Amino acid sequence: MTFEFALAVATRTVLAFSPLERLLQDDNQLSSPLTSYSRLQEGVYLFRHGIDPYAGGTFRHSPLSLSFFSTIVPASRIPPALLWTSLDAVGAWALVNIWRSRSNIQRSKRDLRIAAIYLLNPYIFLPCLALSTSTVETTLQLLTLMFASRGQSSLSLLTLAVLSHLSLPAILLLLPVLLLLLSDPLSHLASPKPFPQKLSKCVPLLVEFTVSFVTLALASTLVAGGWGWMRNTWGAGFLLPDLTPNPGLWWYFFTEMFDHFRPFFLAAFSLHLAIYVVPLCIKFQHDPLYASFLLLGILGTFKPYPTLSDPGLFLSFISLFPETYPYLRYPVVTALLHLHAFLLLPLFHHLWIGTGTGNANFFYASTLVFGLANGSALLDYVWAGLRVAIGEEKEGWVVTQE
Amino acid sequence: MSGRSRAVVRWSPWAGLQDKFTMSSSGIPLIGLVDRIRRRIRQLRPSGDIAARIRKRKKVAAAVGKYLDVLRLGLLATGCLWLLALPLSHLQSGTYIDENALQPSQVNTYWDWGDVHRADKFLQDVTSLLDRNLSSAERAVFFATEFAKSGIPSSTQRYSIPTARGVLNGTNAYAIFSAPRTSGTEAVVISASWKSLTGGYNLRGVSTVLSLATFMKHYSHWSKDIIFVISDSHLDGMHAWLSAYHTPTNPNQDVGPLSIASGVIWTALNIDYPGHSFSHLGVFREGLNGRLPNQDLINSFRVISQHTGGVPVLLYDHYEPSEFPGREQIRSFFPTWLPDWIREHEDVMEYGYRAKNILRHFVYQAKGRASGAHGLFHQYRIDAITLFAVPSNGPHGFHALGRTVESTLRTMNNLLERLHASFFFYIITTPSSFLKIGSYLPSVVLVAASLMFGGLGEWVKAGWVEVKDEYMPSEKEKVANATPNSPKKKWIARRRDLLDAFMVVVTSHLAGLSIFVVICGEWLDTTRLAYIITPMCWVTLVLFRFTLRPPPASANAAPLPVLLKAINMCLASTLISVTSVLNFSLAALLAITLGVPLSFSAPSRSLPVCVTKCAVYAVLAFGWLALSGEVTQAIWDWQVLGVWFAPLVCLIYVPFVLQAGVVSGLAP
Repeated sequence: MTFEFALAVATRTVLAFSPLERLLQDDNQLSSPLTSYSRLQEGVYLFRHGIDPYAGGTFRHSPLSLSFFSTIVPASRIPPALLWTSLDAVGAWALVNIWRSRSNIQRSKRDLRIAAIYLLNPYIFLPCLALSTSTVETTLQLLTLMFASRGQSSLSLLTLAVLSHLSLPAILLLLPVLLLLLSDPLSHLASPKPFPQKLSKCVPLLVEFTVSFVTLALASTLVAGGWGWMRNTWGAGFLLPDLTPNPGLWWYFFTEMFDHFRPFFLAAFSLHLAIYVVPLCIKFQHDPLYASFLLLGILGTFKPYPTLSDPGLFLSFISLFPETYPYLRYPVVTALLHLHAFLLLPLFHHLWIGTGTGNANFFYASTLVFGLANGSALLDYVWAGLRVAIGEEKEGWVVTQE
Repeated sequence: MSGRSRAVVRWSPWAGLQDKFTMSSSGIPLIGLVDRIRRRIRQLRPSGDIAARIRKRKKVAAAVGKYLDVLRLGLLATGCLWLLALPLSHLQSGTYIDENALQPSQVNTYWDWGDVHRADKFLQDVTSLLDRNLSSAERAVFFATEFAKSGIPSSTQRYSIPTARGVLNGTNAYAIFSAPRTSGTEAVVISASWKSLTGGYNLRGVSTVLSLATFMKHYSHWSKDIIFVISDSHLDGMHAWLSAYHTPTNPNQDVGPLSIASGVIWTALNIDYPGHSFSHLGVFREGLNGRLPNQDLINSFRVISQHTGGVPVLLYDHYEPSEFPGREQIRSFFPTWLPDWIREHEDVMEYGYRAKNILRHFVYQAKGRASGAHGLFHQYRIDAITLFAVPSNGPHGFHALGRTVESTLRTMNNLLERLHASFFFYIITTPSSFLKIGSYLPSVVLVAASLMFGGLGEWVKAGWVEVKDEYMPSEKEKVANATPNSPKKKWIARRRDLLDAFMVVVTSHLAGLSIFVVICGEWLDTTRLAYIITPMCWVTLVLFRFTLRPPPASANAAPLPVLLKAINMCLASTLISVTSVLNFSLAALLAITLGVPLSFSAPSRSLPVCVTKCAVYAVLAFGWLALSGEVTQAIWDWQVLGVWFAPLVCLIYVPFVLQAGVVSGLAP
């Protein structure tokens, strides 16, 4: 197992040093304005030369990334490539560990397959080759859930605080992570039961999270020398100042919008992202890990500046829930939709940006197909997760949704 | 309500936990609210008809299952018939100018007989270059000197491009006339290649470019730099010049650097004038990998040529049926066994004329081949066409050509922004009519949809099988509901193990890759290849039946051929529909060459049928190797110009047909 894992990681490392990186680095699908490595380098350069990087509109990374990349890791060729590859390896390791916690075993035959599904997922490794910081976010998401599955509450909440600091929408994961910390990661899909703990137990954990989150925010303010970073980093998710195309559903909508409707629709889109949390946590209170999984899918589909690694994480997570597979209604349709989207996204992007024969509508159409693919996967897994509880159909009986 | 209708477990995703909650003390107030909303929704929709709804849904599903073959063959046939209907005049619309800034044919032209005289003198010089048998470098130096004499900065460029069959050497000459009115951030190109697309020498084209350079220097209304290029050979010279212009510091290229440069090139006109006079100007538009220029360029040129130059415009060198040689050409386009009264009929003539134009376009575009030197520009986002002076005994010469080119350049000079996006998807059927994307795209998408339905149908077939009840005594089997009409039959679920099918898919693609590597190598004679590979593959396909024999039809696992066919058809459908927006002709070619063979692949019980089918698939997969001329040309295109046709055939077409062959070769 360890040998094969090392082999997979070694292959990734070789790929990381291939000339692909230069081709992919500025691809709109792999890195958004919030996660682009070129912009990070720009910010580090400005920072080193005594210019406030948050004064302009190009740099939207967190001050934590800024301090990390201006002091510890030089922004040259080799160290980042190694760092990103190892981040992916850590992510795969965390995913395997979540699986082990969920199935309550030390090791299984499935481990390697799960690691491979993560490491070979093109939605995961292409952003990693492009050195998009969305890889960092993905890894932190996995680590949060791994620590939460193991019941290590402080580590988990600290990781989540760092993650939400880097990418604010991830804060929506707080509720399922708290529930996960209070219960267990085992699969209870087949036997739904009310949440075993009193919700008041959440309070100390919530305080712990808030303290670490606020501390990080204060540290960032210290690094950036003012509050200006908040508008450029967190604010970007709410105000959408940069309409660089990405595989998500926001950018095109707001390029077409009259200015006086903007605030209303920004509020509507942001709220829309948040409304799923409570219903999912109520419905899947017996299995908070599954609720987190579904929330990852919602974030990957609807978040403001997604890259391919956000839906990629959701898709790789599917490997943890084999008990739902028999109850999926249309896995082939979802797979084919994803295949179409995977081919159409780069193609239409090329037709618009490269050859200039198409226009923005083309790429937007392909992001719609992609959204449809993610949405159909999400809906199917909501159905299957609930359907497990009823069991197999008996002859002459049909289970139907009312 | 019948007994069966009660066989329904009502379930709502919001209902699962609710009962337990009302009993437990840790009730969350939200649950009560959700419950109330649910009840309200239920009041809105009477729930008594759930059973009826399920029965209806089952009936529809059964009908789709029953008529699936009719549906997919219907879609396939409709798609193919639509392709045949493309030349019909009902589908077409008239051309128009989309970009208002172009203002074609709205200027006075200044090209007069003095300029024609200069062009004649250049022609004498250029002819003597040919007679003295000068090397390409000496020729290029002569052209550069002539440009310099007009006061335009000029230079030459050497190149040598290695291919599998020798090295291509040559020298280009070019000159850049800086715009008097702007800073030179934008440019247009006027070019002529030394060789014509007919294979002869383009002496008059070259003379026109030389004379135009001197002529344009005298006027101050140019707002874009004008670049004059006289490229060596037919395509390779222009390829070398363009790649050096757009990647000036790439050390891997075998082309020399350019010593002078200008701004972004927006449009280009390539002049091809192989005869001594011409009767019409033909437009050639297809670029590498099926790229097309903006339609506005072609339409403006047509307007200008007819109104300013007084020269009628043709597509390629195809005469219209209303003109004298046109009728004969179209008559001979139809097979000779057709009776004359059909071939001579006006509507048939019209159909034949359009079909001929579309077919020529299809051949260029599907092979990804440039129809002239203009085709190399499109990959750099430059709209370009070739003006082909159709050789004839008259009446036109340098005078009409010069006026047309001058006016077209003035039109291009008017542009304030690049030509509009999305005016790139068209099929021109006559000089004044074209097919919009909406009237040609559905044909191929219908074929792709047919394949998709077929693939999904196979997938369902792989997962479920209908067996007689008495053979299924075991209660452990996954037993689903019986069909209402035949109580003695049952649908049972099967496992779908995709691993074997995926291995076949991967192997066939690897086989395609190895064939591609082999035919690209210079050490092999491709003419003999077909005679070796085709029988080999045929034997292999037949051997599949005996070597890959799956375990005797188990009720629990789906048979390999069904799974393989499902994957094969779904992937082919995806590929065809995605290609259709990139290169329609290629997608149409794939729709015909994959759509039909893949739809009819099926394992058969009798050995002779199986062997025949395998033979057909082997010939389909490798028969093209016998066309050694085409193969050599496609490989040259790939190695020199980066045309995707050869790798696409080897890596996509061959593997898919091979998979269909394996499906037919396996035992059912």
